[in-house]
Amino acid sequence: MALLEIRNLHVTVENKPILNGVNLKIEPGEIHAIMGPNGSGKSTLSYILSGREGYKITDGEVIYNGIDLLELEPDQRAREGVFLAFQYPVEIPGVVGLTFLKTALNAIRVHRGENELDAMDFLKFVREKAQSLEIDDEMLKRFVNEGFSGGEKKRMEILQMAILQPKLAILDETDSGLDIDALQVVSKGINALRDANRGMLLITHYQRLLNYVHPDKVHVLANGRIAKSGDGALAQELEEKGYAEFNAFVE
Amino acid sequence: MPDGAGRSFTFLEQAARDDLIGLGSQLKWLRELKESGASIFKERGLPNRSDEYWRYTQLNKLIEIDFQLSKESPFVGSKQLSQGVSGGLSTYRIVLVNGCLRKDLCSIENLPKGVLIAGLNAAISSVPSRLEKKLGKNIDLENMPMAALNTAFLKEGVIILVDNDIVIDKPIELISITMPNKYPTMSQPRFLIDLGENAKATLIESHIGNTEIPYFNNVVSEVTIGEGAGLDHYKLQEEGLAAVHISTIALRLQRQSLYRGFILQSGGLIGRTEASAVLDGSESDCRFDGVYLGSRNQLLDTTTSIKHVATNCKSRQVFKGVLDGSAHGVFQGKTHVTIGAQKTDGYQLSRALMLSPDAEITTKPELEIYADDVKCSHGATSGDLDADSLFYLKSRGLSPDVARRVLVEAFLNESLSEIKLNEIFEGFTNHVRGWLNSKTKQSAVG
Repeated sequence: MALLEIRNLHVTVENKPILNGVNLKIEPGEIHAIMGPNGSGKSTLSYILSGREGYKITDGEVIYNGIDLLELEPDQRAREGVFLAFQYPVEIPGVVGLTFLKTALNAIRVHRGENELDAMDFLKFVREKAQSLEIDDEMLKRFVNEGFSGGEKKRMEILQMAILQPKLAILDETDSGLDIDALQVVSKGINALRDANRGMLLITHYQRLLNYVHPDKVHVLANGRIAKSGDGALAQELEEKGYAEFNAFVE
Repeated sequence: MPDGAGRSFTFLEQAARDDLIGLGSQLKWLRELKESGASIFKERGLPNRSDEYWRYTQLNKLIEIDFQLSKESPFVGSKQLSQGVSGGLSTYRIVLVNGCLRKDLCSIENLPKGVLIAGLNAAISSVPSRLEKKLGKNIDLENMPMAALNTAFLKEGVIILVDNDIVIDKPIELISITMPNKYPTMSQPRFLIDLGENAKATLIESHIGNTEIPYFNNVVSEVTIGEGAGLDHYKLQEEGLAAVHISTIALRLQRQSLYRGFILQSGGLIGRTEASAVLDGSESDCRFDGVYLGSRNQLLDTTTSIKHVATNCKSRQVFKGVLDGSAHGVFQGKTHVTIGAQKTDGYQLSRALMLSPDAEITTKPELEIYADDVKCSHGATSGDLDADSLFYLKSRGLSPDVARRVLVEAFLNESLSEIKLNEIFEGFTNHVRGWLNSKTKQSAVG
């Protein structure tokens, strides 16, 4: 059974069509990259999968692990193992990062039928994961994303993914705003989470992330549809030629 | 005749009947003070819409009910006493039940030398001349009709006098508890806190209601902080669901003194705290922060006025409100800088979170500045929880209820984190959590 299957997905925002029949199938263990010009609907797809409000699904379906994903609330999806690494992680003043992570992890553990981690075990677990992402205790004790640099925010997203251990991770423009050092740290974090049971969907405008995280499949999203699919070589081709070929489809 | 003036006679008739105005009449100054309160209240009546600072808080409820001063003092156990916010700290404790001082529940033995904590009556007998100098001196009765009413009834209350250079080793805890009575109870307690030069004290004040029947608690606190002295003042207003709690705090800060006030209001059908501070010694620092939590059809009013008279003084006010149901929050904050108060640094922030479409907030910030070299600012916001933040939390597996709670706590944390004493911070935080829990239960049932 596929981990994720998107069938003929049509989505509008304020009556404007954004996705016009997306089809996509991700098997466990696969990493797929979705590339495409700005405004092609890449971020919309990530929000549809994670359950953000404000979008109208006019046709199609999304089957995740054999269940109708679109029927679930955002928090239910998260507890079922869907994770979105945000393009713009939200700053939440007043909520301490560690407390937030612990609340999230325990919500998911309880759902999986596991024991909640106590403060000590949790801290040990987090520190282990945080170290490889170059996140220190001081950063964990700060309010969620508040005053973080672009790179710090993205590293924190990957840390959350490492802690919550999703089955399906959607990474929305995780490479944007990263310098080359940060890109390497983040890529290392993503590669560490490659797993035979986990699927990933990398959404990116540029090819450079794919130099570090090698996808099994690459798709071009243009005009709200998958216009072309291929292997890693397609990303290289896009880097050289740009999206001109696909922009022609955009009215 | 103003609205409510008829009722004012009834209040005062009762005061006369109980010989309250005559009480202590052997002291001329006290008799005159009470008479001045009575005559001002008689003239003004209950505040109404035409009083600028009472426009949004109507006290018509008081007219409908025949409140009486309590003659009994019901049983109170340790459960009720533990409802305060002292967070398990060891304190000097003084307790009022239904407005009457309860010596059996107080714990004020072994006070440091130079500290007097006593009931108002006892202090009137033991240190009349000290009270004559202080009582009613800092309060503008002409413009505070409810304080005038309290003054007419002057009988019960608590006096805290701290001599120069005394640093009190433990916080002073003042607990006012209202228990069910056979008739609607009225209390008119008066608190007088006076810190001498370089004295330091912490006051924790809790107003707790253990009854759902209506009662009326009209509190006046007069606070003077001497040169170089400092007072940390925490107040919890958790009166009963049908109560009317009106509190007037009048502060005077001398040179280089510090006042840090924090108030949490979540009780009462109507709860109002009005604090007015006069900064008439240079380099004094007045902070007034707080939180109000409204649900059902509550009206919670915070009205402040900070008057900068001397130079180089600081004032800071941060108030956060959370309103649910059809609750109405009122924040009126005034910073007044007189012509001589150069180098004033004044800051004011009011933020309200509306959890229900029927909740309502009225915010009225006022800056009145007559000096030309000052730094003053204010800000006010109100709105629902941030949708992006909610989605972010839910996308990490937090249920909508938990996500909302996390955000409400975070919102309040900016204000709560101003609390310096850890135990008190915990006490207030637990109170906030209790409030959030009860709301979750309500919505689960509803």
